[in-house]
This record gives sequence, C-alpha cells and structure tokens, in this order.
Amino acid sequence: MPFFEWVRKNSEHYLLEASQRDMARKYLGVEPPVSGASLEAIFFRRLFVPIYRRIPWFIRRAILLAMPGSHRQEWAGRSPPAKPN
Amino acid sequence: MTLRIVVVGGGAAGIGAAGSAHQVDPEASVTVYTEFEDVGYSPCGIPYVHGKEIPKFENLFLQDKAFYERMGLDIRYETRVSKFDLAANKVTVEGEGDVPFDRLVVATGFYYGDPGVAGTELEGLYYVKNIRQAMEWDKVFDNAKKVVVVEATPLGLEMVTAMAHRGLETHLVDPHPWALAEVSDPDIMKPVMDSWSEMGVISHYNTKVEAFLGDGKVRAVKTSEGELEADVVVICTNKQPNNRLAREAGLNIGSTGGIVVNERMQTSNPNVYAAGDCCELPHGISKVPIQGLSGSHAYAQGKVAGTNAAGGSRAYQPVYVPWGMVAGKWMIGGVSFGETLANALGIPFVMGVAQGISRARYYPDMKPVRVKLLADPGSHKIIGAQLVGGEGIKERCDFLAMAAKTGITLEDLATMENVYSPPIGALNEPIALAAQNGLSNVKKS
Repeated sequence: MPFFEWVRKNSEHYLLEASQRDMARKYLGVEPPVSGASLEAIFFRRLFVPIYRRIPWFIRRAILLAMPGSHRQEWAGRSPPAKPN
Repeated sequence: MTLRIVVVGGGAAGIGAAGSAHQVDPEASVTVYTEFEDVGYSPCGIPYVHGKEIPKFENLFLQDKAFYERMGLDIRYETRVSKFDLAANKVTVEGEGDVPFDRLVVATGFYYGDPGVAGTELEGLYYVKNIRQAMEWDKVFDNAKKVVVVEATPLGLEMVTAMAHRGLETHLVDPHPWALAEVSDPDIMKPVMDSWSEMGVISHYNTKVEAFLGDGKVRAVKTSEGELEADVVVICTNKQPNNRLAREAGLNIGSTGGIVVNERMQTSNPNVYAAGDCCELPHGISKVPIQGLSGSHAYAQGKVAGTNAAGGSRAYQPVYVPWGMVAGKWMIGGVSFGETLANALGIPFVMGVAQGISRARYYPDMKPVRVKLLADPGSHKIIGAQLVGGEGIKERCDFLAMAAKTGITLEDLATMENVYSPPIGALNEPIALAAQNGLSNVKKS
C-alpha cells in the first residue's frame, strides 16, 4: 500500500477508535475493550493519537491539507465554506 | 470527426456519464462496458426487497435495455475491460480486443473490503451488489433460519432491518461500541439499537469476526465472543474504491485510495474522467478528501464527467454529505460531521441538541425528532448535524447540508421561520430549538 494511503487508513482508524472510546464513555457509560497489539497499533495508539490531539487545529489542518489528493486540484466552483477556526 | 467516448462501468456514475455525454454531443459514439447483466436499476433498493417492503426485484428497474438502445447508447453487457492504455488512448476489452477512445470515463465503482479472516471462500457469504445475484439470494433466504450480518455500516443497518422484517433470526456482529460508529453518534443510534432489540435482532458490539466456519458451505461465524450459527452471512464491510485498472494505468490515486479528480471530474490524464465510488472528493468544510458516498453523488458526478468528456462545461463542488436512512423503527441522518467524527478529526465545535416533534402534539402519529447541531465556535456557522426521528429526517438533512454549504449560523437557525400546520409541522421546529440550545452553550463556554 502506498505510504499516504497507509497513513490515511491508519490515522483515520485509530483517531476514530479513540473518539469512539470518548463517546462510549460519555453516552453509553462503558469502556470499550481494546483489541490488537501489533507494532502498528501500538505506534498509532500510544504515539500518533496523543500527539495529534495535542497539536493545535490550525497545524493539524495544514498537515491534513498537505496530503496528496483531489482537494489539491482545481475546485474553483466552491462556495464560501464554514471554516473551523 | 465523431468523438469516441468509452465509459467503463454501468452503475449510477457510468450511466449518468453516458447519458449526459450523449445529450451534449448527440453525434458522439458513446460505448458503456459493464461486467454485469443489467444497467438502469437501483441496487440501493435491494435490501428492501429482501425485507419484503418492496414486493419484487423487477420494481427496482428504472429503464429497460431497449430504452438505452433508443437513446443511442451502445451498452456492452457482461463485458469486462481488462486494461487502460492511456498512452495509446485505448482500452483492452475481453472478447473484443483493443478499443480506441478520445475520452474515457472511469466509473468502476467499489468492492467490499475483505473481512481478512479465514473462510471467505465458503458458500453462503453474501455481498449485496448485483440484482441478479440478489434474486438468487432471496430464494436462499426463503429456506434460511439464521443470518449473521457482518458490520453495522449503512448497508449493514439496512440488511439487519431487512432480515428482521423478514422474520429471520438475525445477528449483527460489529467491532465498534455501537452501530454505525464510524459515521454516527451513540445518542443518535440508541433508539435504532433499542428498536432492533424489540424486533428480535441480537447485536454483538465490540465483537470481531475471526473466521467463517464450514465445510464447503458456511455453518457458523467464529467471533471474539464465541461462535454464531449461520445459514447465510451478509458481508457489509466498508466500500473500497475499485481502482485496479486506474492504478495500473498510472492515474493519480489519493490518500483514500480513490482516483484524484478536479471539479470537472477530470483525472491526472486530461482525456480521462472519473466519477462515483472509484474517485475521491474534497469535503466542503474540512477540505479533506473523502470517498464512498451515495448513489445520488455518483449519478451527479457521472453527469459532470460525461458532460465534460463530450466537450461541454460543468463543475462539481466539494461535498457536505447529507445522508439518511431507515434503520430499525427509526429514520436517522446527518450532514458532514457528527460529534464522533469531529472529535476524531479534532475540529473545534460547539453543539446544540434538542428533542422536538414532527407534527402538532395533539395530531395522530406525531413522532419525536432529535436534532444535534455542530457549529464553528468562532463564526457559529453550521459544520455538521445528526438527526434521529420518526419522520422528516431526510428533508431536514438536505436543508442542513445547504445551511452548512452557504455558511448559515446558529443565530440564523435559532430565529428561522418554519411551517406550522398540525398534520405536517409543529409550532417549534426542532432545528430551531437545537440552534437556540447551541447559542446557550456558546454563552456558557
């Protein structure tokens, strides 16, 4: 799998997993079990997610937008969006 | 000289592209290749035939083959394209050889993600996609007693509901803490999950599939919580872009695995366009590319791709992703971000939640409507929403998608005018109530 697809797939998975744990605690009052202890899982759970969450949004956003993809093509037709700060 | 347009894929994007290309340039030669037996039907309706809400599969056909012939489209059924040669502007078609084109539209759709466990070769594993196969599977369901649905994705929700409607013993196995957890929030999904329990569905959350067991034919699903007997297993894993040919041909692929396109749905090769589940689009708010949207997105993208391929001019726009569906006894829906997704991405937001009603309180069949709004904490512009209720969810999601797209704020929604008529609308619009609560939360923060 190409590098950027690997980054996207794993970062999305583990950020969602962490958020789902937050939401499960908040709304369901439960602590979901953590499964899988591969090196990849350990890296993303213990390093990537905590570091990502400490970075200010404007930096995170800049990193996200630096990834290759359709968003870096011409999209002149877009209307003014509601930009998060 | 006649423009030669080749469309690969006969789903919503491919047919949308072919139709609009023909409309822009009626003299163009438009050829559609599909590996399946049919085009012009709604695969999204398949779960509702299985669930017996729709009496027969034939009702899902929107047009017959003669319609497309009369239109002047050359559709080659059950014909597989095996290679794109973009240097020579030709595709290789099995049984036909090399076919030249001036413009190519790639609409190769999706495949279901591999469950990644042993036993996927067994009979009895159903991937919902093709209507002819669905007709055969429907006969299998007639003799089945126990069905296991793997993963509570949007299709998973529809199939769980369909199987329960059909009266089959239905198990849902999902690795997340609640259903549709990659898209929706637990407070929105709770009524759905409760209604499934009322319908007899046995849900297994926080549970992973470890293997499909059987001898030639599946007899059970081995999970992290034990074995579940199954006559049929419905695989509803996430949709993956079907991009092998595009990737091998050297088209640029984005981080989602989808083909990179611009607003004209043009790929990294100026003679090649792409549309539907095989490509990725920028999200209107985060700008992050996303992939795997709805049939309405695919069809609209196809029309843009086909128009431009035929020499016209049309632009697609970043997506705000209104979605909705019936799950269990409820309608659910949303726009852009829910709380779970916004929290995952780390987007700052304020939230307003309200429980309203769909009609006047005294009018028969009044239903609850729960609205959760997410707004940017600085500008108060709407960046997302989630809804659950008994009716009127789709229309509210469409409206809120336009609200997010046009920069409408909590203040705008808190003071919105609304239709009041006892049979169709309550005095207080639930969206306005949620926005008012959102503004209260802004003041508290």
